[in-house]
Amino acid sequence: MSESLGPLLQLNAITKKFGATTALDAASFEGHAGEVHALMGANGAGKSTLMNVLGGVVPMDAGEIIISGSPVQIRSPHESKALGIAFVHQELNMLPTMTVAENVFIDALPQYGGLVDRDRMRKGAAELLERLGSRFSPEQPVEELSTGDRQMVEIARALARDPRIIIFDEPTSSLTDRERQRLFAIIRQLKQSGVAVIYITHFLDEIFHISDRVTVMRNGQTVGSSAIAAITPTEVVRLMLGEVERQERLREPHAAAGKPLLSVRGLTRRGVLHDIGFELYPGEIVGLWGLLGSGRTELVHALIGLDPIDSGELRIAADSEDRPITPKALHRQIGLVTEDRRGEGLLMPLSVVGNLSLASLSQLLSPLRLIDRRREQAFAEEIVARLKIKLNDPRQAVKTLSGGNQQKVVLGRWLATGPRLFILDEPTRGLDVAAKAEVLRLTTELATEGASILLISSELEDMMRVCDRYLVISRGRIVGELPGGADKNRLMEAVSGGHSTAAAA
Amino acid sequence: MTTAAVRRIASIAAPARIVPLLLAIAILVFLYYHAPHFFAVRNLINILVQMSSLGLLAIGMTLVMIGGGIDLSMPATMAFGAVLGAFYMRAGGNPAVAALITLVAVAAVGTINGIAAAWFKMTPFVVTLASMTAVGGATVWMTNSVSVSHFPDAFFNFYLARPFGVPVTVIILVVAALIASTVMSSTIFGRWLYAVGINARAARVARIPVERVLFATYLVSALLAGLTGVLLSARLGSASANIGNDGVVLDIVSACVVGGVSIYGGTGKPLGAVFGAFFITLISNSLNQLGVSYFMNLVVKGIVIIAFIYLDKLARREP
Repeated sequence: MSESLGPLLQLNAITKKFGATTALDAASFEGHAGEVHALMGANGAGKSTLMNVLGGVVPMDAGEIIISGSPVQIRSPHESKALGIAFVHQELNMLPTMTVAENVFIDALPQYGGLVDRDRMRKGAAELLERLGSRFSPEQPVEELSTGDRQMVEIARALARDPRIIIFDEPTSSLTDRERQRLFAIIRQLKQSGVAVIYITHFLDEIFHISDRVTVMRNGQTVGSSAIAAITPTEVVRLMLGEVERQERLREPHAAAGKPLLSVRGLTRRGVLHDIGFELYPGEIVGLWGLLGSGRTELVHALIGLDPIDSGELRIAADSEDRPITPKALHRQIGLVTEDRRGEGLLMPLSVVGNLSLASLSQLLSPLRLIDRRREQAFAEEIVARLKIKLNDPRQAVKTLSGGNQQKVVLGRWLATGPRLFILDEPTRGLDVAAKAEVLRLTTELATEGASILLISSELEDMMRVCDRYLVISRGRIVGELPGGADKNRLMEAVSGGHSTAAAA
Repeated sequence: MTTAAVRRIASIAAPARIVPLLLAIAILVFLYYHAPHFFAVRNLINILVQMSSLGLLAIGMTLVMIGGGIDLSMPATMAFGAVLGAFYMRAGGNPAVAALITLVAVAAVGTINGIAAAWFKMTPFVVTLASMTAVGGATVWMTNSVSVSHFPDAFFNFYLARPFGVPVTVIILVVAALIASTVMSSTIFGRWLYAVGINARAARVARIPVERVLFATYLVSALLAGLTGVLLSARLGSASANIGNDGVVLDIVSACVVGGVSIYGGTGKPLGAVFGAFFITLISNSLNQLGVSYFMNLVVKGIVIIAFIYLDKLARREP
């Protein structure tokens, strides 16, 4: 395709605010006909908002959209469609009991005399499916199809209007390898027919496999854009994470000694986690380092039995030997801070006292087996003082606390149960600098007192202040281990994937 | 969320608690002038006795609703248990053993509801609607829609006694309400149940045995239905499929909602539901006193429940 025609799509300095938060800060993007342009960024970087502006779902505050050289207004999804823009969504928005053909044409059912023209619909769908090389019938209900085939239906729906621009939003996150290869073949085909493809993904290897250009977003800005041939995976990771400032360590790397507290062997959850093995020693903070979608949260869920596993063994040190333990039993022994503080960590309408005492109620009973409120209050106040939780009254609802103090309540609940192992999944998410430092300091205190800590964070700065060792996770596998003293370059290279990095590094 | 926002929610929620109280007072004042018979001691005691069945059922429903579920089968289960006990007594059985038979039978229904809702994660509304139909059908089939009566005197002597002029059913209601209140406010089970109702996922992360807690609520609601069935048999002198008619379930849910038990789970107090039962009984009784038809009575109750669910929704809405 000739570049001299100029870009098919230009997004210039798009700005969008939601209340006080800036979701998009003068973000710019170009799409060329016959090109695959990857859009990358961490969670919350602004990818979806930018694409929602293009899709007419979110109105922009400032900026301009130019298609084929002329400025356009996109005020609704309908206008977006009329301009030849189509979306292939990540979560498949299908009507499972309706047929493939009905799903493909649901927003523009062909009609004949006020009734749905089934013949035309079936033929149209069959043509589209043939273009996609799909073998299922347009008459089949969508619920009978595999995830990969449903994705094809979603793509057929996007193609039904002959779009000039197609946006793929993380299309491969639930596909098998073979389905992914088929998707890539289709994307190449679309590219050849002159469509501008925008491809959103978390997977670095896919970008280097399928795209011609990559644009990286961070904090609502487009921080870099390059032809794929002119950039390495490590450089993309660096753009995504931004300048990682080396902050003072809160605790020098601590060499593990003695016997492991927890050993994990061959942990597998089909399609998600593959043969995961590692050890955690008492008193050490181990960072589980991987990009979004690497399987780090899935690993946590599998370890504690929130998701089932297909095979693998966990052993925990007990007395002088180590014993096998099931994920559910492990869950009962550990302190767990999950990524989703509001949804999984706290009972927001309950008081600070009620949240803190929840896991320790059996220690707070009076002789009549009723909860002794005075002791409960004293128990909570002790934790509040120890963790320096800032509040007006321990009886206030936990939802009225700031994020940092809420997180301390989550930690405080477990602290009182004296666990030997803590799993902290994104404990510093959404916290300000001071609160982050406090939560991290608390983490080192727990380790110094002898607890093992498995820490997951997307913020490399935070990990680099406390971790004694890193396990590198990618695509559901532990792909390497790095010492606590590793610098940011080594850490970034480690998650940039083997093949092309090895050549570049 | 800011404290101002919380205060705003509280200010919206407050009417939900005060409105029924004001309404109750208004109705009482109105009746004082327009239906003087209402305040006859006999009628007042009658209201207390009437509301005690509804109150016991509402306490059971409160626990289920705090956990985020609903038990539509309560009235049918009550009739089922009552009829089985009645059969045994008619054949000359001992009233204490009859009560035991009733409780075992209703516990079986509660166990099925609880297992289906807690472990099989079936929608409580549908599960209990189905068990209501099955149990109700069984009761009609067993009785041929005829009431079962002829109970021994000992049965009436015990349940219809009035120590110090207070009917036994009222005493049982007060005791049950106090126990339920204490359980909900000061036991581990109570704390767990609120936590599960607020957010089951967070409760699970906090190591709460979510399934066991939910199961227990359905078992308790069934047992309270059984107890109510025994008391009602004594009061009516007979047991029949009809004591668990369709109107009863609406009364129970109305009592809970008026009493501040949220249909969304996580909030509510047993004493609130008992007050709600008083309020609902008061409306029925006073409309009766005023000569309003039974069917108009149903219309009013339907409107009351819709109004309070709307208030509940307002109170729940976060800005």
